[in-house]
Amino acid sequence: MTSIGSIGSLVLAQTPPSDTFYTHAPEWTWLIVVYFFVGGIAGGAAFLGAMLDLFGAPQDRPLARLAYVVSLPLIAIGGPLLIWDLNRPERFWHMFIQSETGRPMFKYWSPISFGAWGVGVFGLFIFLAAVGTLAELGHLPASLRLLREGVVGKAVSALAGLFGLFVAGYTGILLAATNRPLWADTTLLGLLFLLSSISAAAAVLILLSWRWGHQGSVHWLAEMDVYSSLLELVTLIVLVISLGSVALEVWGNGWGVLLLVGTVLIGILLPLALHFRPHLAGRMSLPSAAALVLIGAFVLRAVVVLSSEAV
Amino acid sequence: MAECHPVAFRWVSQAKLQGAKLIHVDPRFTRTSALADIHAPVRAGSDIAFLGGMINHVINSERWNTEPFFKEYVVNYTNAATIINAEFKDTEDLDGLFSGLGEYKEGAWGLNGFVGQYDNKTWQYEAAPVGDQGRTANTGQSGEQPVESGQPGAEPAPAPPGPPYDPLIQAMPRPTPNRDPSLQDPRCVFQILKKHYSRYTPEMVERVTGCPRDRFVQVAETLLQNSGPDRTSAFCYAVAWTQHTTGVQMIGAAALLQLLLGNIGRPGGGVMALRGHATIQGSTDIPTLYHSIHGYMPHPTALKKHNSVAEYLQTETLPKGFWSGMPKFFVSYLKSMYGDAATPQNDFGFAWHPRIAGDHSHMPMMLAMSEGRVKGMFAMGQNPAVGGQNAGFQRKALAKLEWLVVKDNFETETAAFWRTSPEVKNGQLKMEEIQTEVFLFPSAQVAEMDGSYTNTQRLVKWHHKAVDPPGDCRSDPWFTYHLGKRLKAMYAGSTAPRDQGFLNLVWNFEPNPEEVADSRIKDEPSVYAMMREINGFQTATGEHLKAIGDIKDDGSTTCASWIYCGVYPEEGRLLAASREPDPDPLPGANLNWGYSWPSNRRVIYNRASARPDGQPWSERKKWIWWDPTKGDPAKNEKGKWVGYDVPDFPPAKAPDTPADPNGIGMAAHSGTDPFILKADGKGWLFTPTGLVDGPLPTHYEPVETPVKNPLYSQQNNPVYKNWAREGNEIAPPEDPSYPYVLSTYRLTEHHLSGVMSRWLPWLAELQPELFAEISPELAEEKEINNTDMIRIITPRGEIQAKALVTPRLQPLMVADKTIHHVGLPWHWGYQGLVTGAVVNDLSSLIGDPNVSMHEGKSFVCNVEKA
Amino acid sequence: MAQTAQGTPATPAASTPSGETSFPAGTPIIVEGTPALGGSPMPGGSPPPPGTPVGAMIGTPAALETPAENTAAFPAAVPFDAVPMGFYTDTTVCIGCKACEVACKEWNGLSSYNGGVNVLSGDSYDNTRHLDGQHWRHVKFIEQFDNTNQGRQGRWLMMSDVCKHCVQAGCMDVCPTGAIIRTEFDTVVIQSDVCNGCRACIGACPFGVIEINPTNNTAMKCTLCYDRMQAGLTPACAQACPTASIQFGAIDDLKQSAQQRLEQLQSLGETRAQLYGADDKIVGGLNSFYLLVDEPEVYGLPASPQLPSRNVPTSGLMSTAGAVAMGVLGLVGLRKRRMDQFAAERAGTGQRDEEVTGD
Repeated sequence: MTSIGSIGSLVLAQTPPSDTFYTHAPEWTWLIVVYFFVGGIAGGAAFLGAMLDLFGAPQDRPLARLAYVVSLPLIAIGGPLLIWDLNRPERFWHMFIQSETGRPMFKYWSPISFGAWGVGVFGLFIFLAAVGTLAELGHLPASLRLLREGVVGKAVSALAGLFGLFVAGYTGILLAATNRPLWADTTLLGLLFLLSSISAAAAVLILLSWRWGHQGSVHWLAEMDVYSSLLELVTLIVLVISLGSVALEVWGNGWGVLLLVGTVLIGILLPLALHFRPHLAGRMSLPSAAALVLIGAFVLRAVVVLSSEAV
Repeated sequence: MAECHPVAFRWVSQAKLQGAKLIHVDPRFTRTSALADIHAPVRAGSDIAFLGGMINHVINSERWNTEPFFKEYVVNYTNAATIINAEFKDTEDLDGLFSGLGEYKEGAWGLNGFVGQYDNKTWQYEAAPVGDQGRTANTGQSGEQPVESGQPGAEPAPAPPGPPYDPLIQAMPRPTPNRDPSLQDPRCVFQILKKHYSRYTPEMVERVTGCPRDRFVQVAETLLQNSGPDRTSAFCYAVAWTQHTTGVQMIGAAALLQLLLGNIGRPGGGVMALRGHATIQGSTDIPTLYHSIHGYMPHPTALKKHNSVAEYLQTETLPKGFWSGMPKFFVSYLKSMYGDAATPQNDFGFAWHPRIAGDHSHMPMMLAMSEGRVKGMFAMGQNPAVGGQNAGFQRKALAKLEWLVVKDNFETETAAFWRTSPEVKNGQLKMEEIQTEVFLFPSAQVAEMDGSYTNTQRLVKWHHKAVDPPGDCRSDPWFTYHLGKRLKAMYAGSTAPRDQGFLNLVWNFEPNPEEVADSRIKDEPSVYAMMREINGFQTATGEHLKAIGDIKDDGSTTCASWIYCGVYPEEGRLLAASREPDPDPLPGANLNWGYSWPSNRRVIYNRASARPDGQPWSERKKWIWWDPTKGDPAKNEKGKWVGYDVPDFPPAKAPDTPADPNGIGMAAHSGTDPFILKADGKGWLFTPTGLVDGPLPTHYEPVETPVKNPLYSQQNNPVYKNWAREGNEIAPPEDPSYPYVLSTYRLTEHHLSGVMSRWLPWLAELQPELFAEISPELAEEKEINNTDMIRIITPRGEIQAKALVTPRLQPLMVADKTIHHVGLPWHWGYQGLVTGAVVNDLSSLIGDPNVSMHEGKSFVCNVEKA
Repeated sequence: MAQTAQGTPATPAASTPSGETSFPAGTPIIVEGTPALGGSPMPGGSPPPPGTPVGAMIGTPAALETPAENTAAFPAAVPFDAVPMGFYTDTTVCIGCKACEVACKEWNGLSSYNGGVNVLSGDSYDNTRHLDGQHWRHVKFIEQFDNTNQGRQGRWLMMSDVCKHCVQAGCMDVCPTGAIIRTEFDTVVIQSDVCNGCRACIGACPFGVIEINPTNNTAMKCTLCYDRMQAGLTPACAQACPTASIQFGAIDDLKQSAQQRLEQLQSLGETRAQLYGADDKIVGGLNSFYLLVDEPEVYGLPASPQLPSRNVPTSGLMSTAGAVAMGVLGLVGLRKRRMDQFAAERAGTGQRDEEVTGD
């Protein structure tokens, strides 16, 4: 009789593939997915903008400006999402100041602590960069152009770019610094999110500039998109292989299908195909590929976050 | 025990940590089984077959027949050697019946319910007539009509008046039973019981109980090996033994086995009754039982010769042993009832005392209620709408009341029967037609009042009030005391004879101002004054009695409950409140931790803890012993009983003291008679009087059962109580419509009908819904999945519950049939935070013939997927 | 690492109406701790050196040894010595009565699922299912039976689970607000008036102990009755446990008695008996450790739990490598473009920047 002994001894029946399966989900859901998406794009855009600013030609400056101006609102949306996600949003400042002593609150070994600071610092520099940009464009007092000029300008760009990279990638490390299935079973999520963020940021900038952007700049963005997409694909394959039975447990279901279709096929393979075979969609190849990349980037975050939450 | 008495189980756990073996015999694998070394599954209701098998195994074992301890204990301390009446016929002779069975005719009360009755004349000791060895139950007689005088059948000499009552006792016949210490006489108790249990073989045990025979033998052997001069074993049981039509005999079988193994009166031995809830022991000591008054004295009855104190004493007193003191206990009790109004001239007010007229226990009273013979009811901490058997029947009976008072913590199912019961919902009762006026009084909790608990081992422990109860909540003493005061005021001035007893009732428990100084409730009666009355005092001076020996039969002492005498030996020194543990190292009896009645004895009959010569059976198990050096020469004492405990024996009575054939009381016992409450001073393997359904425990099937009795052609208890009524239908044996055995029980997480647990979120969430436990085999047979809703059907009703499919239940092979059990915890009802069907809607109104206990532990049902 | 002297006011901290646990002012705490990266021997805030040894306190506060003015049932309010304290849970005598769950809730004023109107789980007698923000104690039931249907034998394992008060506490490592502290008793406590509900600790705990408490919306778990300990009282669950399955005391003493019990069981033939968390192999040791009679997984415990921070260095390295790679690729791309541009200009086919600027 097969049913005997199965009641209440489910624990015996299947030993989970990893010690991460004994833990509780932190209920990081859609707010976090959206934050990962917009924050990643903001960070990636700042990185791309800084690259163009610091190492590009003068004709790249408009796109660099675009990158900063796009990045600021995205992080301005992302930060509040994080606060909104707190169970006690009114205490968000406890992440920066010890509520009991008034001293700074910083733990370099806690991704959520240094992440909070990282996002904050990034927000500051991207704000400065964006303010400078708006001054350059005449929307703000000319004196603020200082932020885009000389050593100050270079420093602002460099720091915005560096912290942008941080914001693009730390979210994956944040997930890894848990004991949750999938998240804590790999060390590749930071890299994966970083690459996906750069590719998505490139896609956003392409979408916003492909009609008017300097061809060289847009072309460079498209190249960055291709590089990051290719690396992302490789990383994803390595990730799945290294996860082994955990991947089967977490993704051997609808989430896996979604990842395969949404991210691998729509978000990586189709855009690459459009890139290498532009005649497929003619003039629309570039924006189409960019739009697909964005879908893929969003699906990637949704699947990574929510599939583990669903365990 | 772990399941229903987790706190008491701490001692079992500690024993386990020291290497003790734990055996659990239960149809289900419960939380107790989880901790047990051996779990023996048995069919519900087959316990006597299991115990009888162990008795048979023990007396035929090599160890029992070679280790001298057993014979020495049994021959000296039990009635094994006593010769029984030559006319006695055993179940072996009459295929499951004892001699003396006759027809039962109902008397005027009409609700005693017996299906037959035994005349126990032939069960008596040879040369010792009826009544000499113990009392018969008050409702065990046929054709009970109020009697003017005399006990049916017997006509003793007219009772000499008293006080003093010593002449009355002296005038009573006190023959000495014949004995054969070699245990060879075929009419001696040992030979009768050996023959009686000879058919209880391991094969038969397996056939009746379903317990695999090797498991049974393992249990019997473990018990046997763990009994002897330096080891003892204890039995613990709870309501699973009482709630059968053979419940008293089940417990009797355990006592019999323990006597055979020398496990009575010794530390670590005994049979422990784990009571249904806190201070159930206390509520039988100072009873809520209808048939006894304080201290286990029989309730005056209209059915026996109880026309005067002398007649009552002559009918009820045992002239030999400790019960010969009953005149003192009874007169002092009457003084506690009527105080100064009780005088020798008016026979201490005995005529005012209420009489019983039949079986007034819970089930007959509810039946009387259903017939419209009961006008009002107080339900204080009782919830018969859920806890009563055939609860639907009982709820309908409530609707016949004129008034109902419920005093409880919440609006119980009983209080709300008129608006939310299933009968009101399904139209069997119409709310607008129910005339019952319901009064709901809010009750204080235990932590909101001072008072005492008496635990299963007779340990009286005081508890102190922590806080005042909120709002209008009041303690039971407050409610009862003020009700009495108001009624007394209403009756004041009445000259009706029936009111005189109530008017003369002593009713003065006004608090000492100090007692209520910290309380908001200034009219809370003094529970200390109540304890003083229970303990007893000198009538003239008010000085507290120090010990049972102080109690007098002439009215000079007042004592409500003789067994508690000594608990409060002086003002300001309530021993129930003492909390001084013995210092390490053990053993110690912890005599300063609470107070154990009688006289603070922790192990009752503890004379048996020493050999007949007074020396301990072993160093490891010594408890009290005779010390010839401790005697007081001035009193001509040869020595003293000393040890860890208070001796349950005359303290200076030497082991070699012979019984005085002309003596009364303790003088009639020898120095080797440990069972001082018994007329012959022996532990009874064979019960000549006192039980109405046989002198030796015999396996009968439960009244509702899926099998024929494999042991005898007599199917069930020949004298059980059956109240056949419409709405109380009983399934015949082997009824194919009801193939499964149903047992009701409790869970750790809830208490009784749930009034103290189902209203509490913390407890409710632990076991939120009613469930029926079934085995995976039955589930498969009936295509039931775990947590499916199922219907459980009996002749009385049908309920729905979620199925909890678990391998902890298993089918048992009984008499070549596969028997499935259905387990139902009965904590749910239609009121409270978490609700569920009332399981007792399924059970029936039938009873054990000795104590009118129902058979909720074993009846039959069918199960279907809902 | 801030650590103030012992000898705190003896006021037992109250659960405020909001359900938040707050501790008396001047409570000695050790903030944040230091990183406890995987395998690092450095615990998250080491406890003070052992002071005067206290006796094994199994349900009896050591404070009883001090002559107390109040001789009633309540012991004098003298805090325990600041040595590592914790629980030793002997699952072999657990009877699954759940008194610990209820006593914990009563003392800490915790709510129940749906106000008590819970649903039957169907999983043995476990209806509260797991530890969370309102269940700081949880009794697990594991039914193990053979397949015979005549005289079936088996075991029903029970275990009262609780926060492990890890010597290297993952929850404390990740907490960004400093709400999670290590006390002078080497226990781990969440200060709910500091917590802002980021929930990082929930996913970080290797044992699934922490959840959000629905009453005050902060992460909560067992405090090992820090408030009671400060007043010299045994934690509520250990006090309520009728069978001494939950034993409370100084860790060193508990380990000794656990070892003795283990040897006793093994000598009785219970070869599956094992201690879980009594040595430093599991996240530096558990200040709430267990005696089990089967593999940890059977009890829903991870065999080799790890700290969440173990992944941070490698993950960081990977990401940095990726960032560098992308930076280099970007530079190469820009460089190549410039070279191409030079080449094109040299060939006279270059476009001028200004022609395509859009601003």
